[in-house]
Amino acid sequence: MSDNKKWYSLDLGQNKQKEATASCGCGKTEGSCNSQKTELSADEFYEAAINASIGEERHRDGFEQVFDVKMDRRTAFRKLTASLLIGAGAVSTSCSAVIDNKTKEKAQIDWEEQFKGNYKLMTDEEKQGTINRLMRSYELRTGKNISMTAENAEEDVLFGYAFNISKCQGYMNCVSACVEENNQDRNSQMQYIRIHEMKDGQGFKFDNADDNYYHEVPAEGHFYMGTQCFHCDNPPCVEVCPVQATWKEEDGLVVIDYDWCVGCRYCMAACPYDGRRFNWSKPEVPENEINKNQHYLGNRMRKKGVMEKCTFCVQRSRKGKNPACVEACPTGARIFGNLLDPNSTIRWVLANKKVFRLKEDLGTEPKFWYFMD
Amino acid sequence: MKNKTLIYCLIFLFILGFCSCKEDGEYHSIKDKIENEGKPYHGKLTSDQLLMDSELIEITAGEHTFWIPERKGQIKSFACTECHNRPVAQMKGLEGQKAHWDVKLNHANSEMMDCTTCHNGEDMNNLRSLTNQNIDLNLSYKLCAQCHFSQFEDWKGGAHGKKVAGWAPPRASMTCVNCHNPHSPGFEKRWPVQFNTQKAIERKEGLDH
Amino acid sequence: MGRFKVLKSLVIDSLDTITKGSKKYHIWMGFLTLVMLIGMYCYSIQLDEGLSVTGMSDRVSWGLYISNFTFLVGVAAAAVMLVMPTYVLKDIDFKQAVLIGEGLAVAALIMCLAFVVADMGGPSVLWHMIPGIGVFNFPNSMLTWDVIVLNGYLFINISIPFYILFRHYQGKEAQKKVYVPGAVLSVFWAVGIHLVTAFLYQGLQARPFWNNALLGPRFLASAFAAGPALIILVLAVIRSFTAFRIEDKTIKKIAMIVTVAAQINLIMLASELFKEFYAPTHHSESAYYLFFGLHGKNALLPWIWTAIPLNILATVILTFGKFRNNLKVLYFCCFILFAAIWIEKGFGLIVPGFIPGPYGKIVEYLPTKIEIGVTIGIWALGAFVFTILAKTAIGIELGELRYKNKNSSDS
Repeated sequence: MSDNKKWYSLDLGQNKQKEATASCGCGKTEGSCNSQKTELSADEFYEAAINASIGEERHRDGFEQVFDVKMDRRTAFRKLTASLLIGAGAVSTSCSAVIDNKTKEKAQIDWEEQFKGNYKLMTDEEKQGTINRLMRSYELRTGKNISMTAENAEEDVLFGYAFNISKCQGYMNCVSACVEENNQDRNSQMQYIRIHEMKDGQGFKFDNADDNYYHEVPAEGHFYMGTQCFHCDNPPCVEVCPVQATWKEEDGLVVIDYDWCVGCRYCMAACPYDGRRFNWSKPEVPENEINKNQHYLGNRMRKKGVMEKCTFCVQRSRKGKNPACVEACPTGARIFGNLLDPNSTIRWVLANKKVFRLKEDLGTEPKFWYFMD
Repeated sequence: MKNKTLIYCLIFLFILGFCSCKEDGEYHSIKDKIENEGKPYHGKLTSDQLLMDSELIEITAGEHTFWIPERKGQIKSFACTECHNRPVAQMKGLEGQKAHWDVKLNHANSEMMDCTTCHNGEDMNNLRSLTNQNIDLNLSYKLCAQCHFSQFEDWKGGAHGKKVAGWAPPRASMTCVNCHNPHSPGFEKRWPVQFNTQKAIERKEGLDH
Repeated sequence: MGRFKVLKSLVIDSLDTITKGSKKYHIWMGFLTLVMLIGMYCYSIQLDEGLSVTGMSDRVSWGLYISNFTFLVGVAAAAVMLVMPTYVLKDIDFKQAVLIGEGLAVAALIMCLAFVVADMGGPSVLWHMIPGIGVFNFPNSMLTWDVIVLNGYLFINISIPFYILFRHYQGKEAQKKVYVPGAVLSVFWAVGIHLVTAFLYQGLQARPFWNNALLGPRFLASAFAAGPALIILVLAVIRSFTAFRIEDKTIKKIAMIVTVAAQINLIMLASELFKEFYAPTHHSESAYYLFFGLHGKNALLPWIWTAIPLNILATVILTFGKFRNNLKVLYFCCFILFAAIWIEKGFGLIVPGFIPGPYGKIVEYLPTKIEIGVTIGIWALGAFVFTILAKTAIGIELGELRYKNKNSSDS
C-alpha cells in the first residue's frame, strides 16, 4: 500500500497473514483447502463446516449477516477482549493464545474497514484490498462467497440513457428487476425507479401523476414516464457533499462510497430529481435473494444511515452489459449506451428523435433523455 | 527589481487563471462534450462474450449494419415444407391433422390481412412481400417494414426495440418477432409486477407512527 | 507556570461554585440532568435502530433536528448584538450583559453541533469530516463552510469571555487591545455564520422554497429578534435569582434592538408572502402547503398560524415605547416572539422546503416521541452548559471568585 495516503490508517501487523490467506483459493484460514481429502463429499463438508462455524447465522439475511452477527457471551467476551487488546496496541502475535485466528481476523478486518480511506482517492491496490476484506468478511460471517469487483471507468466511455415515453406501458418490470439486481432493502421497499402514470392531455403534471398505481396497465387515457437518478453531468449532489463521499466517475456515473458517507442527507436535499435514497434503518435482503455479483460502488450490501442510489448498475455496465432495468423492460422503452461512440444507438436517438430532459433550466445537465415515437 | 517581481507575479496569476478557466469550462453543455470528444469506440469492452451463445446473422439495413438473431432455428416446425409439401390450396379439405389451430390472427382487421398477406401458399418456407417476392424467414423485418416504416426507421437506428445483450459493440438487436407475436403483435394489458405497500402507507397514513 | 497555577485554581474554584448553590439551583440542575438522561436514552434507541425511529422519510429528509440547528445558529449569532455596541461603539451600558450573551452563544453553538451530530446517519464515521484526517470538500460544499464558521465562532466566543474572566479572576483589568480585535472579528463572524447557514439552503436549486435571495437577510433579521429576546429573558431570570446587577437601561436598550429586528423581519415576511401569492407559480406550492395546505395535507397549518399572529402581536406591542418599557409586557412579548420565530424558522422553514417533493409527491412530517426526546435533551444540555458558564462568570464578576482571596485563605 502506498505511504502517501490522504487519510489515517493503522496497520496491526496482520497483513502478512492476510496475504497468505488470500492466496488460498477457498479462503479458509485453518486446515487444508482441499476438502476432498476428507471422507465427506464436498457438499456435505461445506454444510458441516457452515453449521460448525456459524450455525443459525446463515438463516439470517442481508446486511445483518455481514456486520451484525449475534454472538454468544463467550464469543462476545473474546471479541471484546480482542478489540481491547488491539486497541491498546498490543502486538497481535502475543494474543494468539487468547483468541483464535478467525476472531482475530474478523477484528482486524473490522478495524481496517472502519479506518480505511475514501474509495475515490484509493490506488488500485487499495481498492483491491478493501474488496478482498469485504468478501472475506462476508465469508467469515456467513460461510458463503460473494464476488465483488472494483472495475474502474473505461476510457472513451460516457454512459447515457434514453427513455421512450410512448413505449412505456407501466408494467414495472424494471422496478422489480432493479430491486433484485441491486440488493435494495426489502423492509422499507426501497426502489430507485419510479414510474409516473400521467393523464393524457395534461402535459407533464407530476403532482397529478400516480407513481404507485396498482391496476391493469396501460390504463385508458394515461401514459407512463420513468424517473431515477439521471447521472447529471453537473450534479448538485456531488457539490454539496461535505466529505466527497459521492462523485462523478470518468464514465459519467455518479456513485457513492457507502463506507465514506456520514449520512448528513445534504445530497438528498440538493437533488432536484428525487434520485437518492437513504437507509433509515438496517437494510435487509433474504439470503437466497442476494445478488452475489457485486461491485464496490454498486450493489454491495449497504449499512444503515448511508445514502444509496441508481448507479446504472455499475456492476453490469462496466462489463459491457445493460443495466437490469434496460434488460427487464418488456417494451424496449429503455435505451442505454455510450454517448461518446457516434455509432451507438443512444447517439442515434439523440440525433434523430425529439429528445428533452427534465428540469433542464436548472443547469444540471442530466444524461437521461426522454423521447417519443 | 520590485517591479519585475510584480510583473512576474501578474503573469503567473494570468497563466494560472487561464489554465484553470480552460480546465473548468471546457464545454458548456454535455452535448458539446459528446460531440467534441466522441469517436467510434474500440475499447476493451465488447459484447462478444455475451453474444457467444446466440445464433446471429449480420444484416445491413439502410446505412446501419448490425446483427439480429437467427430465426429459422427457433421455429419448432421448420422447415414448413415438411408438412406443406403441396401448395396450401391443394391441401385444403384433405384429411389429416388439423394444424395451427392455436393461431388466431389479431393483426389489423380481416379486410386488410389474412394468412396469405404474409405467407406464400405456394412456398411455405418463405414469407411473401406485397409485391409477391419471397422474403426469407430470417429477415422477417423486411415484411413488417412494408407497413410499419416509421417503426422500421427507429429500429434501424436503435430507438425501437431491444438489444440482444449489452450496450458494448458489436451491436446485436432483437428483430420484430423477438418481442411481437406476428399473429398478435400488440402487447396485452396486465397488472404491474409489483406494488409498493410502504410507499402507500407513507403517503396516506404518513402520520401514524 | 504561574498562569497554569491560576488556571488550575480557576477550574477548582469554578467546580466548587457550580456544585454549590441554593435548593432551587440544585433542583434546576437535577431536572436538567434528568432530561439530558432521557434524551440520551432516546438517542441510544436512535443509534440502535437507525433514523427510522424519527418522523423523517425519503421525502422529508430533514426535520426537527435541522430545524433547531438552524434556529440556534441565529441565537448564537445574536450575541453580536450585544458585543457590537459594547466593544466597538464604546457603549458601556451592556458590559455586564455581554458576558451573558457570549455564554449564551457558546451554549447555542454546542446545541447546534449536538443537533447536527444527532441528525447524522453515521456518527461513528464523523472523522471523515475532519480536515487532514478525512476528506473535507472545501470550498464546494456549504456544509464545510458551516463547520468552519461555527467552530471558529465557538472558539472566539469561548476565548474572549475566558480572557476577560481570567483577568478579572486575578483581580486585573482586561486589556482592551487584546480583546477588542477579537470582538470586532466576532461581529463580522456572527453575520458570517448566519449567512453561511442560510446559504446552506439558499444554494439548492432543487428546492425553490429556499432558493430565494431573501433567505439570508431574513435569517439575520429573525435571528437578531429572537436572540436578544432570549437574552432579555435570561437576564430577567438572572436578575431575580442572583446578585448580579443588570440595569433596566440595559434591558431596554436590548429591547430596542429586538423591536427593530422584529419590524424588519415582518417587512421581509410581507415581501415574501407577496412574491409567493400575488403571482403564484408552481414554485409557490411549498408556501401554499405551509400556509393553506395542499391536496388536503395540512399538518403545518396549526404551527404557522400560531407563529404568524404571535409574531405580529409581539412586534406591534413592542413598537409602542409605552408597552416596551413596561418590563412585564416586555418579557411576555419577548417570550411569544421567541416562540414564534422558533416555529417560523424551524418547522416553518425546513419542512415545507421538502413539500411537495421534486415530483409533487407529499409525505407529511411530524416528529416522533423519540425525536422530541432527543431534541429536548439537547436543549437541556444547552441550558446546563449555560447555567454553568453563567454561574462561574457571575461569581467572578461579583468578586466571589478571586485568585488572591484563595491564596490568602490558604496561607
